[in-house]
Amino acid sequence: MIEITRRQTVGYRARIVAYLLALVMGFACTSLLIWLSGASVMEGFSALFEGAFGSEEAMLQSLVAATPLIFTGLATVIAYRAEIWSIGQEGQMFAGAMSGYFASLYLGGAPMVVAVPVIILAAMIGGALLGMLCGWLKSRFAVNEIISTVMLNYVIVYFLSYLLAGGPWTAEGSTSYHQTALLADNFRLPLIVSDVKLHIGFLLAILATVLCWGILKFTPFGFEIRALGANPTALRFKGVNVARTILIVMAVSGALSALAGVSEIFGVNYRLKGDVLTGLGFTGIIVGMIGGLNPFGALIAALLFGALENGSLYMSVLSDIPPALVPAMQGILLLFFLSASVIVRYRVRIRRASYV
Amino acid sequence: MSELLSPEILMSIMVAAMGGATVILFAALGELVTERAGIWNMGVEGTMLVGCLVAYLVMAGTGSPILASIAAIGAGMVAGLIIGFMTVTLRVDHFVTGLGFNLLASGLTLFWFRSYVGGGKPPSYSTIDTVPIPGLADIPILGQILFNQHLLTYIALLSVPVIAVFLRRTTFGLETRAAGENPQFLEAKGLSVATRQYAALLFGSALTGLGGAFLMLAFADQFRPDISGGRGWLAIVAVIAGNWKPLRTMAAVLIFAILDSLAVHAQGVGVDVPYQFFLMLPYVASIGLLILIRSRSGQPAKLGVPYLRH
Repeated sequence: MIEITRRQTVGYRARIVAYLLALVMGFACTSLLIWLSGASVMEGFSALFEGAFGSEEAMLQSLVAATPLIFTGLATVIAYRAEIWSIGQEGQMFAGAMSGYFASLYLGGAPMVVAVPVIILAAMIGGALLGMLCGWLKSRFAVNEIISTVMLNYVIVYFLSYLLAGGPWTAEGSTSYHQTALLADNFRLPLIVSDVKLHIGFLLAILATVLCWGILKFTPFGFEIRALGANPTALRFKGVNVARTILIVMAVSGALSALAGVSEIFGVNYRLKGDVLTGLGFTGIIVGMIGGLNPFGALIAALLFGALENGSLYMSVLSDIPPALVPAMQGILLLFFLSASVIVRYRVRIRRASYV
Repeated sequence: MSELLSPEILMSIMVAAMGGATVILFAALGELVTERAGIWNMGVEGTMLVGCLVAYLVMAGTGSPILASIAAIGAGMVAGLIIGFMTVTLRVDHFVTGLGFNLLASGLTLFWFRSYVGGGKPPSYSTIDTVPIPGLADIPILGQILFNQHLLTYIALLSVPVIAVFLRRTTFGLETRAAGENPQFLEAKGLSVATRQYAALLFGSALTGLGGAFLMLAFADQFRPDISGGRGWLAIVAVIAGNWKPLRTMAAVLIFAILDSLAVHAQGVGVDVPYQFFLMLPYVASIGLLILIRSRSGQPAKLGVPYLRH
């Protein structure tokens, strides 16, 4: 008979083989998709990769595109390690961008060294509060966090739509664009490489990755996060206030998501508008999961996905393939990675039935 | 505000709400059966979205609402098969699977739609007509609300008692519930848990796909990205708030549908409250419902717990 048992530990080699296989399968399915849409697979992929890595400028541009994904990816890692299945990264990112913009309205002619940190802080508070609201709903009223975060995503997007479609934040004379006026120079994130708008948000993202890794691995709070995921009952018996831990996890996750909003609005677009943010939170979920819920894994996945995102524009110019190929490809890769990460945990043995 | 409360507008809100309820009700009933079999399927939103796109493509191509509905049912079942393979066969976490599937569906439908349209204008069609029931449709007030609706609305409403009876009174319904309450028991009787869970997922996802088809055929003349707009999620909330019982689930669905219809009418009538606040209502209400209705006594004991054969 066929016997399936759970492995206690999964070796690195098995894991790498499984992930490589998932990657290959993902690319194969994406090729099939391109082929079905009637475009040339080779042309598509070569344009995609040229747009992503073809020149120094393209590569720097890919880093710009990866920056918000690193943040939303890390937000996913922190929440999912605690087995809090938040999909509020999208809404928290919007809330962050909106709080940051709100703060900027009161900063007037403040010098950049003051204005930018205040904006970043305000954004993080905004994202954290929205995250904590869902954490509170979960621990106080047992409202499933998936549902509360999904619903609040819609609420926050409609709220921004109100503010920008004729509401108080709408740029004068451009109601139909649904955007604010251009941000003053002192509110913009300083650039590292000015031609491609690589801003300090990228450095912050790297720093955040290292911090998340350190927190998860070395601090008591990191232990609580992991224990909350593995065995909340044991954590409770240990005397840890689980409701408080949930709140903090959601606050950290929300603050990280908010930074994604700051980098896109204050680092790249220089005005608040909804459609430049749409989807970055959801892609962050894929980034975090494909990264194996490990901060550095998420960083690598974000860099890859940022590159794909960046290359997709070039691809859509050179071929008939729409840029929407990239979100489709990300979804396909995600399902293969999820399957691979589970399959690798089982050992399949074929042996003769010994009882009967 | 008072404009919304005139008798004609109230009537119109209720009539439209029954149509809107149909979309969510199909998905909610499907999810109800799926969850009673122990699968916490979080992929409803994605399944509905796939149903929407497939219905749109077939409708735009053939002009036949029947073919479009059948195709959407088929697409829903494919979605159910993928979710089943991951949750039942591979035993991936149910939440993770659903979230992953939704992201896949969102990306795939977007790509498919964009490459179908190419650079041109997406084809559109006229929405399907209502089918008044002779005699009953003439009853004042109730006739318009209940008996001057689309064919699929009648089917959705009739499905509520049918599914209730199926779950309570038939052998297969009992076995489906056993898969969610006590899978070992099924196994001990020599019956396969996996078969029943797959069946429930296929049935549930087919209904969700049909809900998506109805959304496309009755309310939209063309597809747009993420057109399902959270209705799949509202279906999941309706099941929880309905304590996993068909009739109560329908009541929750009606609340969402009326609020949704209210928002549409608020935009049309021109109320001084910005319409975006009306659009938020169903989503806010869903959280409110979960806070108010805390009873989870109907929740299947093994809901969301991957079953490992012994």
